[in-house]
Amino acid sequence: MSKPEFVYVIYIQSTPQKVWDALLDPEMTKEFWGRYRNRSDWHVGSDWRHENYDDAAEVAVAGKVIESAPPHHLVLTWSRPADTENPDKVSRVRFTIEEFMGSVKLTVTHSELDEEMLRGISAGWPPILSSLKSLLETGASLPMTRRNWKKAR
Amino acid sequence: MPQSKPEFVYVTYIRATIDKVWEALTKPDFTRQYWFGFEQRSGWTKGASWQIVGQDGKIWDSGEILEIDPPRRVVISWTHQMKDELRAEGASRATYELEPVGDTVKLTIVHVGGPKLIEAVSGGWPQVLASLKSLLETGRPLERTGELPK
Repeated sequence: MSKPEFVYVIYIQSTPQKVWDALLDPEMTKEFWGRYRNRSDWHVGSDWRHENYDDAAEVAVAGKVIESAPPHHLVLTWSRPADTENPDKVSRVRFTIEEFMGSVKLTVTHSELDEEMLRGISAGWPPILSSLKSLLETGASLPMTRRNWKKAR
Repeated sequence: MPQSKPEFVYVTYIRATIDKVWEALTKPDFTRQYWFGFEQRSGWTKGASWQIVGQDGKIWDSGEILEIDPPRRVVISWTHQMKDELRAEGASRATYELEPVGDTVKLTIVHVGGPKLIEAVSGGWPQVLASLKSLLETGRPLERTGELPK
Protein backbone atom coordinates (compact mmCIF):
# COMPACT_ATOMS: atom_id res chain seq x y z
CA MET A 1 0.00 0.00 0.00
CA SER A 2 1.52 3.30 -1.01
CA LYS A 3 1.87 6.07 1.52
CA PRO A 4 -0.70 8.88 1.55
CA GLU A 5 -0.10 12.13 -0.27
CA PHE A 6 -1.50 15.64 0.29
CA VAL A 7 -1.99 17.89 -2.74
CA TYR A 8 -3.01 21.55 -2.47
CA VAL A 9 -3.55 23.83 -5.46
CA ILE A 10 -3.86 27.61 -5.04
CA TYR A 11 -4.09 30.33 -7.66
CA ILE A 12 -2.37 33.63 -6.93
CA GLN A 13 -2.58 36.91 -8.91
CA SER A 14 1.18 37.32 -9.13
CA THR A 15 4.16 36.09 -11.15
CA PRO A 16 6.08 32.79 -10.81
CA GLN A 17 9.22 34.70 -9.76
CA LYS A 18 7.38 36.54 -6.97
CA VAL A 19 5.86 33.31 -5.67
CA TRP A 20 9.28 31.59 -5.76
CA ASP A 21 10.90 34.54 -3.95
CA ALA A 22 8.18 34.59 -1.28
CA LEU A 23 8.81 30.94 -0.44
CA LEU A 24 12.54 31.52 0.03
CA ASP A 25 12.84 35.11 1.35
CA PRO A 26 13.03 35.16 5.17
CA GLU A 27 11.47 38.63 5.34
CA MET A 28 8.42 37.25 3.55
CA THR A 29 8.15 33.76 5.03
CA LYS A 30 8.13 35.18 8.55
CA GLU A 31 4.90 36.97 7.59
CA PHE A 32 2.97 33.90 6.43
CA TRP A 33 4.82 30.91 7.85
CA GLY A 34 4.44 31.49 11.59
CA ARG A 35 7.55 33.67 11.94
CA TYR A 36 9.82 30.93 10.53
CA ARG A 37 12.38 31.21 7.74
CA ASN A 38 13.74 28.69 5.23
CA ARG A 39 17.53 28.63 5.23
CA SER A 40 19.65 27.00 2.51
CA ASP A 41 21.87 27.87 -0.43
CA TRP A 42 19.18 26.06 -2.49
CA HIS A 43 21.65 24.01 -4.53
CA VAL A 44 20.71 20.40 -5.24
CA GLY A 45 22.15 18.20 -2.48
CA SER A 46 22.39 21.03 0.05
CA ASP A 47 20.77 20.94 3.46
CA TRP A 48 17.80 23.17 4.20
CA ARG A 49 16.30 24.13 7.53
CA HIS A 50 12.98 25.64 8.58
CA GLU A 51 14.06 27.69 11.56
CA ASN A 52 12.65 30.28 13.93
CA TYR A 53 13.26 33.73 12.40
CA ASP A 54 14.21 35.12 15.82
CA ASP A 55 16.27 32.13 17.00
CA ALA A 56 18.27 30.16 14.41
CA ALA A 57 18.91 27.40 16.94
CA GLU A 58 15.22 26.52 16.99
CA VAL A 59 14.74 24.30 13.93
CA ALA A 60 11.29 22.84 13.28
CA VAL A 61 11.91 21.00 9.97
CA ALA A 62 15.07 19.86 8.17
CA GLY A 63 16.02 18.04 4.98
CA LYS A 64 17.82 18.25 1.67
CA VAL A 65 17.22 20.02 -1.62
CA ILE A 66 16.37 17.35 -4.21
CA GLU A 67 15.42 19.55 -7.21
CA SER A 68 15.77 23.27 -7.74
CA ALA A 69 14.69 24.88 -11.02
CA PRO A 70 13.74 28.50 -10.30
CA PRO A 71 11.09 29.73 -10.51
CA HIS A 72 9.06 26.61 -11.36
CA HIS A 73 10.13 23.55 -9.36
CA LEU A 74 11.52 23.01 -5.89
CA VAL A 75 11.62 19.59 -4.21
CA LEU A 76 12.74 19.10 -0.62
CA THR A 77 12.90 16.22 1.82
CA TRP A 78 11.12 17.05 5.06
CA SER A 79 11.32 15.73 8.61
CA ARG A 80 11.81 16.74 12.22
CA PRO A 81 15.53 17.49 12.72
CA ALA A 82 15.93 14.36 14.90
CA ASP A 83 14.42 12.15 12.16
CA THR A 84 16.48 13.08 9.06
CA GLU A 85 18.18 9.65 9.06
CA ASN A 86 14.93 7.69 9.57
CA PRO A 87 13.36 6.96 6.17
CA ASP A 88 9.99 6.13 7.77
CA LYS A 89 9.79 9.67 9.11
CA VAL A 90 11.10 11.55 6.06
CA SER A 91 8.53 12.94 3.63
CA ARG A 92 8.91 14.92 0.42
CA VAL A 93 7.50 18.29 -0.63
CA ARG A 94 7.27 19.44 -4.24
CA PHE A 95 6.42 23.07 -5.10
CA THR A 96 5.28 23.51 -8.72
CA ILE A 97 4.81 27.12 -9.85
CA GLU A 98 3.17 27.63 -13.25
CA GLU A 99 1.59 30.45 -15.19
CA PHE A 100 -2.08 29.72 -15.72
CA MET A 101 -4.73 31.91 -17.36
CA GLY A 102 -3.13 35.17 -16.28
CA SER A 103 -2.30 34.13 -12.72
CA VAL A 104 0.03 31.68 -10.98
CA LYS A 105 -0.97 28.10 -10.18
CA LEU A 106 1.01 26.91 -7.14
CA THR A 107 0.75 23.17 -6.43
CA VAL A 108 2.17 21.79 -3.19
CA THR A 109 2.49 18.00 -3.22
CA HIS A 110 3.48 16.56 0.13
CA SER A 111 4.15 12.84 -0.26
CA GLU A 112 5.55 9.82 1.59
CA LEU A 113 3.63 10.65 4.73
CA ASP A 114 2.39 8.40 7.49
CA GLU A 115 -1.11 8.95 8.88
CA GLU A 116 0.06 11.12 11.80
CA MET A 117 2.20 13.34 9.56
CA LEU A 118 -0.67 13.60 7.06
CA ARG A 119 -2.99 14.92 9.76
CA GLY A 120 -0.51 17.56 10.86
CA ILE A 121 0.40 18.88 7.45
CA SER A 122 -3.20 18.79 6.18
CA ALA A 123 -4.04 21.34 8.86
CA GLY A 124 -0.88 23.37 8.29
CA TRP A 125 -0.62 23.96 4.56
CA PRO A 126 -4.01 25.66 3.91
CA PRO A 127 -3.53 28.61 6.31
CA ILE A 128 0.12 29.08 5.28
CA LEU A 129 -0.65 29.09 1.56
CA SER A 130 -3.82 31.19 2.01
CA SER A 131 -1.67 33.69 3.88
CA LEU A 132 1.01 33.68 1.14
CA LYS A 133 -1.73 34.52 -1.37
CA SER A 134 -3.01 37.39 0.80
CA LEU A 135 0.53 38.73 1.22
CA LEU A 136 1.26 38.76 -2.52
CA GLU A 137 -2.16 40.14 -3.52
CA THR A 138 -2.85 42.67 -0.75
CA GLY A 139 0.58 43.42 0.77
CA ALA A 140 -0.52 41.93 4.10
CA SER A 141 -0.51 38.32 5.27
CA LEU A 142 -3.20 36.80 7.51
CA PRO A 143 -2.42 38.01 11.05
CA MET A 144 -2.78 34.60 12.71
CA THR A 145 0.10 33.27 10.55
CA ARG A 146 2.57 35.98 11.59
CA ARG A 147 3.04 34.59 15.10
CA ASN A 148 5.30 31.74 16.10
CA TRP A 149 2.86 28.86 16.74
CA LYS A 150 4.75 27.69 19.78
CA LYS A 151 4.87 31.08 21.46
CA ALA A 152 1.15 31.47 20.82
CA ARG A 153 0.34 28.69 23.30
CA MET B 1 -14.10 -3.93 2.31
CA PRO B 2 -16.71 -1.56 0.83
CA GLN B 3 -15.21 1.25 -1.18
CA SER B 4 -16.15 4.69 0.06
CA LYS B 5 -17.17 7.30 -2.51
CA PRO B 6 -14.53 9.64 -3.93
CA GLU B 7 -14.25 12.84 -1.97
CA PHE B 8 -12.64 16.25 -2.53
CA VAL B 9 -11.88 18.44 0.48
CA TYR B 10 -10.54 21.99 0.24
CA VAL B 11 -9.82 24.48 3.01
CA THR B 12 -9.06 28.16 2.44
CA TYR B 13 -8.81 31.13 4.78
CA ILE B 14 -10.33 34.45 3.65
CA ARG B 15 -9.84 37.79 5.36
CA ALA B 16 -13.48 38.92 5.47
CA THR B 17 -16.49 38.61 7.75
CA ILE B 18 -18.49 35.40 7.77
CA ASP B 19 -21.55 37.29 6.47
CA LYS B 20 -19.55 38.65 3.56
CA VAL B 21 -18.17 35.23 2.60
CA TRP B 22 -21.68 33.70 2.82
CA GLU B 23 -23.07 36.48 0.65
CA ALA B 24 -20.33 36.06 -1.94
CA LEU B 25 -20.89 32.29 -2.01
CA THR B 26 -24.65 32.48 -2.52
CA LYS B 27 -25.60 35.69 -4.34
CA PRO B 28 -25.57 35.72 -8.18
CA ASP B 29 -24.12 39.27 -8.37
CA PHE B 30 -21.04 37.90 -6.68
CA THR B 31 -20.73 34.41 -8.10
CA ARG B 32 -20.94 35.67 -11.68
CA GLN B 33 -17.72 37.61 -11.09
CA TYR B 34 -15.58 34.74 -9.82
CA TRP B 35 -17.38 31.53 -10.82
CA PHE B 36 -16.83 31.89 -14.58
CA GLY B 37 -20.11 33.77 -15.06
CA PHE B 38 -22.23 31.11 -13.35
CA GLU B 39 -24.85 31.69 -10.67
CA GLN B 40 -26.31 29.34 -8.08
CA ARG B 41 -30.06 29.81 -8.33
CA SER B 42 -31.88 28.82 -5.15
CA GLY B 43 -34.21 30.03 -2.42
CA TRP B 44 -31.57 28.82 0.03
CA THR B 45 -33.98 27.09 2.43
CA LYS B 46 -34.12 23.42 3.35
CA GLY B 47 -35.80 21.48 0.53
CA ALA B 48 -35.52 24.36 -1.94
CA SER B 49 -34.37 23.58 -5.46
CA TRP B 50 -30.82 24.58 -6.42
CA GLN B 51 -29.26 25.00 -9.84
CA ILE B 52 -26.00 26.21 -11.36
CA VAL B 53 -27.03 28.33 -14.37
CA GLY B 54 -24.69 29.65 -17.07
CA GLN B 55 -24.69 33.11 -18.62
CA ASP B 56 -26.65 31.67 -21.55
CA GLY B 57 -29.39 30.39 -19.22
CA LYS B 58 -28.39 26.72 -19.58
CA ILE B 59 -28.59 24.58 -16.45
CA TRP B 60 -25.26 22.88 -15.76
CA ASP B 61 -26.05 21.26 -12.40
CA SER B 62 -29.24 20.87 -10.38
CA GLY B 63 -30.48 19.48 -7.10
CA GLU B 64 -31.74 20.73 -3.78
CA ILE B 65 -30.71 22.18 -0.44
CA LEU B 66 -30.48 19.28 2.04
CA GLU B 67 -29.46 21.26 5.13
CA ILE B 68 -28.82 24.94 5.72
CA ASP B 69 -27.68 27.04 8.69
CA PRO B 70 -26.74 30.52 7.39
CA PRO B 71 -24.07 31.84 7.50
CA ARG B 72 -22.27 28.71 8.74
CA ARG B 73 -23.21 25.72 6.66
CA VAL B 74 -25.13 24.44 3.68
CA VAL B 75 -25.37 20.91 2.25
CA ILE B 76 -26.42 20.57 -1.39
CA SER B 77 -27.55 17.58 -3.43
CA TRP B 78 -25.71 18.26 -6.71
CA THR B 79 -26.31 16.41 -10.00
CA HIS B 80 -24.46 17.45 -13.14
CA GLN B 81 -26.73 17.91 -16.18
CA MET B 82 -24.60 18.80 -19.19
CA LYS B 83 -22.26 15.84 -19.83
CA ASP B 84 -23.85 12.38 -20.07
CA GLU B 85 -21.04 10.53 -18.32
CA LEU B 86 -21.20 12.88 -15.32
CA ARG B 87 -25.00 12.90 -15.17
CA ALA B 88 -24.97 9.10 -15.16
CA GLU B 89 -23.07 9.08 -11.86
CA GLY B 90 -26.14 10.54 -10.12
CA ALA B 91 -26.32 12.93 -7.19
CA SER B 92 -23.22 14.17 -5.41
CA ARG B 93 -23.21 15.95 -2.06
CA ALA B 94 -21.47 19.28 -1.52
CA THR B 95 -21.01 20.89 1.90
CA TYR B 96 -19.90 24.51 2.37
CA GLU B 97 -18.78 25.19 5.95
CA LEU B 98 -17.78 28.64 7.25
CA GLU B 99 -16.03 29.20 10.58
CA PRO B 100 -14.62 32.47 11.95
CA VAL B 101 -10.92 32.13 12.87
CA GLY B 102 -9.47 35.41 14.17
CA ASP B 103 -10.26 38.02 11.54
CA THR B 104 -10.53 35.41 8.81
CA VAL B 105 -13.12 32.88 7.75
CA LYS B 106 -12.05 29.26 7.40
CA LEU B 107 -14.06 28.02 4.42
CA THR B 108 -14.19 24.24 3.96
CA ILE B 109 -15.70 22.57 0.90
CA VAL B 110 -16.39 18.81 1.11
CA HIS B 111 -17.66 17.30 -2.13
CA VAL B 112 -18.54 13.58 -2.27
CA GLY B 113 -19.67 11.84 -5.45
CA GLY B 114 -18.82 9.67 -8.43
CA PRO B 115 -15.21 9.50 -9.66
CA LYS B 116 -15.66 11.53 -12.87
CA LEU B 117 -17.55 14.33 -11.15
CA ILE B 118 -15.06 14.50 -8.29
CA GLU B 119 -12.18 14.62 -10.77
CA ALA B 120 -13.88 17.53 -12.53
CA VAL B 121 -14.67 19.54 -9.39
CA SER B 122 -11.18 18.88 -7.99
CA GLY B 123 -9.91 21.06 -10.80
CA GLY B 124 -12.68 23.64 -10.56
CA TRP B 125 -13.01 24.30 -6.84
CA PRO B 126 -9.45 25.64 -6.25
CA GLN B 127 -9.90 28.10 -9.14
CA VAL B 128 -13.34 29.28 -8.03
CA LEU B 129 -12.34 29.63 -4.36
CA ALA B 130 -9.07 31.40 -5.18
CA SER B 131 -11.00 33.88 -7.28
CA LEU B 132 -13.60 34.37 -4.51
CA LYS B 133 -10.78 35.07 -2.04
CA SER B 134 -9.17 37.60 -4.42
CA LEU B 135 -12.53 39.32 -4.96
CA LEU B 136 -13.20 39.71 -1.24
CA GLU B 137 -9.65 40.71 -0.30
CA THR B 138 -8.64 42.90 -3.27
CA GLY B 139 -11.96 43.94 -4.82
CA ARG B 140 -11.12 42.05 -8.03
CA PRO B 141 -11.51 38.39 -8.94
CA LEU B 142 -8.63 36.47 -10.51
CA GLU B 143 -8.04 37.29 -14.17
CA ARG B 144 -10.20 35.40 -16.66
CA THR B 145 -12.59 33.94 -14.09
CA GLY B 146 -15.56 36.14 -15.03
CA GLU B 147 -16.58 33.89 -17.89
CA LEU B 148 -15.96 30.40 -19.22
CA PRO B 149 -12.78 30.08 -21.29
CA LYS B 150 -13.58 30.00 -25.01
